[in-house]
Parts: sequence; C-alpha cells; structure tokens
Amino acid sequence: MSSQAINSSVTLATRPFSMDKLNGGQKLAIHYFTVAMILFIAQLLFGLLAGMQYLMPDFLYNTLDFNVNRMVHINAMIVWMLYGFIGSIYWFLEDESGVEIVGLKLGKIAFWVLTVAVTIVVLVYLLVQTGSGTERSIWLINEGREYIEAPRWADIGIVAVMLVFFYNVAATFSKGKWSGIAGVLTLDLIALAGLYIAGMFYTTNISVDQYWWWWVIHLWVEATWEVLVGCIMAWSLMTLLGVRRKIVQTWLYIEVALMFGSGILGLGHHYFWIGTPEYWLTIGGFFSALEPIPLVAMVVHSIYDSGVHHFKTRNHPAFAWIIAHAFGNFFGAGVWGFMHTLPQINLYTHGTQWSASHGHLAFFGAYATINIAFFYLAVQKMRDDCWMGGNMPDNGWKWKAAMVLLNLGVVGMTVALLIAGYEQSFIERAVEGSSWGGYFAAQSHPWFIQAMTWRMVFGVMTFIGGILLFWDLLTIGKTEPRTAEVASQ
Amino acid sequence: MIEPVALADFFMSFFTAALIILTAVVYVALYTWAEVKHKRLVKYASWFVYAALIGCVLLFSLIMHLNGYWQILSVLMALGYWWMPRLILRLCVATHEEDEG
Repeated sequence: MSSQAINSSVTLATRPFSMDKLNGGQKLAIHYFTVAMILFIAQLLFGLLAGMQYLMPDFLYNTLDFNVNRMVHINAMIVWMLYGFIGSIYWFLEDESGVEIVGLKLGKIAFWVLTVAVTIVVLVYLLVQTGSGTERSIWLINEGREYIEAPRWADIGIVAVMLVFFYNVAATFSKGKWSGIAGVLTLDLIALAGLYIAGMFYTTNISVDQYWWWWVIHLWVEATWEVLVGCIMAWSLMTLLGVRRKIVQTWLYIEVALMFGSGILGLGHHYFWIGTPEYWLTIGGFFSALEPIPLVAMVVHSIYDSGVHHFKTRNHPAFAWIIAHAFGNFFGAGVWGFMHTLPQINLYTHGTQWSASHGHLAFFGAYATINIAFFYLAVQKMRDDCWMGGNMPDNGWKWKAAMVLLNLGVVGMTVALLIAGYEQSFIERAVEGSSWGGYFAAQSHPWFIQAMTWRMVFGVMTFIGGILLFWDLLTIGKTEPRTAEVASQ
Repeated sequence: MIEPVALADFFMSFFTAALIILTAVVYVALYTWAEVKHKRLVKYASWFVYAALIGCVLLFSLIMHLNGYWQILSVLMALGYWWMPRLILRLCVATHEEDEG
C-alpha cells in the first residue's frame, strides 16, 4: 500500500500520548524514562559548566566549584543510565514473562523512594557540598569516593531499591514463564545489587579502599551493565527486527561467556598503580587485551546477518540508535580502550584526559545509545503504535538532527580530549616525571588549552543535540496518521 | 617487571594499538563477507589485511617491549584474530540453521 493511499484513508489529526495500551510495567517504565531524560540533560548541563571551568578557572569559583560540577556530571550519568536500564526491563517484563508484574506497587514505591533520594543527594551536593572529615559527613553529605559519592544513607537506599527491583523481576518470572533472557537477567541483578556493597565500607588504607572501590566501578560497568544491555538488546532485536528468540538467546549466552573470559579479570587494568602486587600488571594486561574480542565478534555476526537476511524495521530512530550503539561501543570501548590498556603505556596515560576521552565515547556508545533507542520504542507505543519508519510527516528531521548533533558532539569531545590527554601523558608524565611542575606545565600548554576549547565547542553541540532529542521524544509521531502495522503492509 | 614505552615511540604505541583493532575488524569483515557471498577476491583482500595486522602486532610488540612471557600476548593476538572469525562464523551458521532450512 502506498503512503499516499494510507494518508488519504486515515483522518487522524493528532495522536496524543496515551497510557491506555500500556501494561503496568510499561506505565512504571515511562516514569523511569522521564527521570532518565531529565538527568541526561542535567548531565550535559553540568558537563558544560565543568568544561567551561577548564577555560575560565574563576567561573563560578567558590559558588559551584569544578569538583562539584564534575561530581554531578558523572553521578547524573550513572543514575540516568540506571534509570534507563530499570525502565527498559520493566517495559518488557510482562511481555517476556507472560504474566502481570508481581509486586508492582512495591516497584512504584521504590521508584519514588529512589527519585526523592536522588533529588536530596543532588541538592546536598549543590547546596552543602562539603563537610568535616568525620563519619557524619560520610553518612549525610558525601562518601568521598569518585563516581559513587552518594552518602551512606543513599547507598543503603540504592541497594534496597535494587533488591526490590530484583524481587519484582525474579517473582514475576517465577510466576510466569522463564526464558534464557529471564535467567541471565535475574542472575545479573543479584550481581548488580551485591557488587554495590563492595563500595560501601570504609578502610583507612587507600590501596585496600581502591581495590574494593573498583569492584563497583569496573564490575558494574564492564560486567553487570554489559550483561544487562545484552538482555535489553536481545529483547529489542526480537521486537524491532523480528529476530528469532533462539538466536538472540544463544548469543546472549556467548556474550556472558566472553564477559567471564575477559571483562571480569580485565579489572586488573585498574590495579596497575594503586599499590597492589605486581602480578596484576600481567593479569590486567593480558585480560584487557582480550576485551575487544566480543566487539570484533559482533562485526562477524553483523556482516553475516546483513549478507544473509534482509530485515525491515518500523521504528527507524530506535534502529538507528542501535546501529550507533554498535559503532560507539566498538570505537569507544574497543579502539580507545586498547590504545592505553597495557601497563607499558598506561603508566603515562592513567588518569589523564586520555581516560576522559575513552570514558566519553565508551559510555555514550555502549549505554546512552541503547537507552535512547528504548525511549523511541516506548514513545512509539505511547503514540498508539504509530508508524516511525520512512516518510514521516516532517521527514523525521528532529530525530535525525539530534542524532547527528549528539554523535558528532561526543566524537568531537572524544578527539579533543584525546589530544589533551596525549599532551598530558607526554609532558606531565613522560617528560616531567609526574611532578607538580609537570602538572602545571601540561595544564598551561597551548595544545591542552586549544583541545579544551574544542571540547567546549563540541560540548555545546552535544547539549543542543540533547535538547533536540528531548523535543523530538515529546513530539515524534504526534501528527503521523499511519499506524505501524498498516504502513508496513 | 615491565619496561615502559620509550619517549620517541610514544605516538607509535597508540597508533599501532588502534591499528591492531581496526585492521582486525576490517579483516574479519572481509573474511566474513567473502565466506557469505563466496567472493574469492574479497578473501584475498582479507589475507592482505591480516598481513597488515600481523605487521602492526609485530611493531606494537617491539615498541611496547613485550619481552619474555609478554610475547605470549603477541602470539595470542596473531592467532586469536585469525581463528576468531572462523569460530564465530560457525556459530552464526549453526544458530541460524533453521532460517537457512
């Protein structure tokens, strides 16, 4: 059927957002997605403020210092991604299990508890900022560990919310039907909640403290989150492209096996310089070198599928973001990771802007993209399952422009930070021997300043892309007369 | 004990590391495409890219001072990237058997 014929046969003027066709889990997922998107914009905004302070160190000095902006920037990222993952799982939980969610009310309470806790934590970060070096500050203001600065009371709340989430998932699958995705997901959630506890106790020995802290940071991001995304991706591929369950589940098992083989002991690359025994140089180096294997394997499967099958999708934005996920994950985690993972070079790059370059592309590629893809799946269903393929009323300019701006912005920031990190590694670390003078020599070098200026330019581009994405998610499909099923006939 | 990269080799260490991953991807992409579409020329191209990958691994190993047992890593990279696409392709064919049938 041609699009003109469909247009003339349907007289629908607008499609308002509607929750009518959503099940209980999907309604809860919309709450999570909304907060995730707000936190995403907050992440971009505080990133801009922190970036500006590299160029104008007096900017907001003593009002909103760099350490606060950076902390909110990174914490907002971790939390919005977590909200996105939890929302995505609630979205498909009833479809996957075949029954209504067990303990949905508890899930709703957990959502509000988490959201109120996040709000209070951010307000304390911004308004109180610091406290005396006592247990009281650890409990009420800031725990002091990079990336997981949330005070102890909020830590306990996060674990409690994760356990409620685990209960919802495990009990629902137990009541309904189990599947490969269900099994992997449930086991992964135990690890997700359990590993966070490793970052909650305090020791006076910095080496021991960092040793356990990395369990949360590395094993969350490069183990439990990867598997979580694998489950979400498996379900998305069945929904978006109609891939058979047997295929996605088999590849999910393979991913878990590869993750066990490389990702877990790849943890060693964080233990190079924190005072742990020397054997971690070998363990970290070898297993980190294996980490690109799953990503290269992904290329084989993609080429095989594109050569053998001809898939069609009715949600172009979601599919485009899944393709961005594959590329971003490969370059950010694979190429950028391997470039500085062996101890022979990591000695110079560790903790410089090189790490920030790798972090920006890897987090965006591996996690932000898949969450955004899922937002588009949710919006499609909220617009009464409207057509989101080709020939959209406005030619889909907003999602395309948002995608270009976000991807170009992040890639631009990554390259700019790479140049800054290279200069820091070379001048501060290799030439000046990590001295205090070397630090300032590197920070005031023209290469560093120019790189940071370009990072700011691309940061603004990313922010505009984020705003456009938000606008598109609120408006896409509003004036689309065709339903997905009719248009795909 | 490790021997850090020399100052003069700083850029090449990053460059060869990136090239290892990129040539590996081009190699596996060409190899898989050649197998799926039965293209002999593409297969020759994949071997050519694999030779470039081996060159990168050798250069990388020299620059990074991968001596002693670290040489195992170089061998693993060279052999691993050769066998990996073959194994993954077998898995692809096996998992898609019903579609082909």
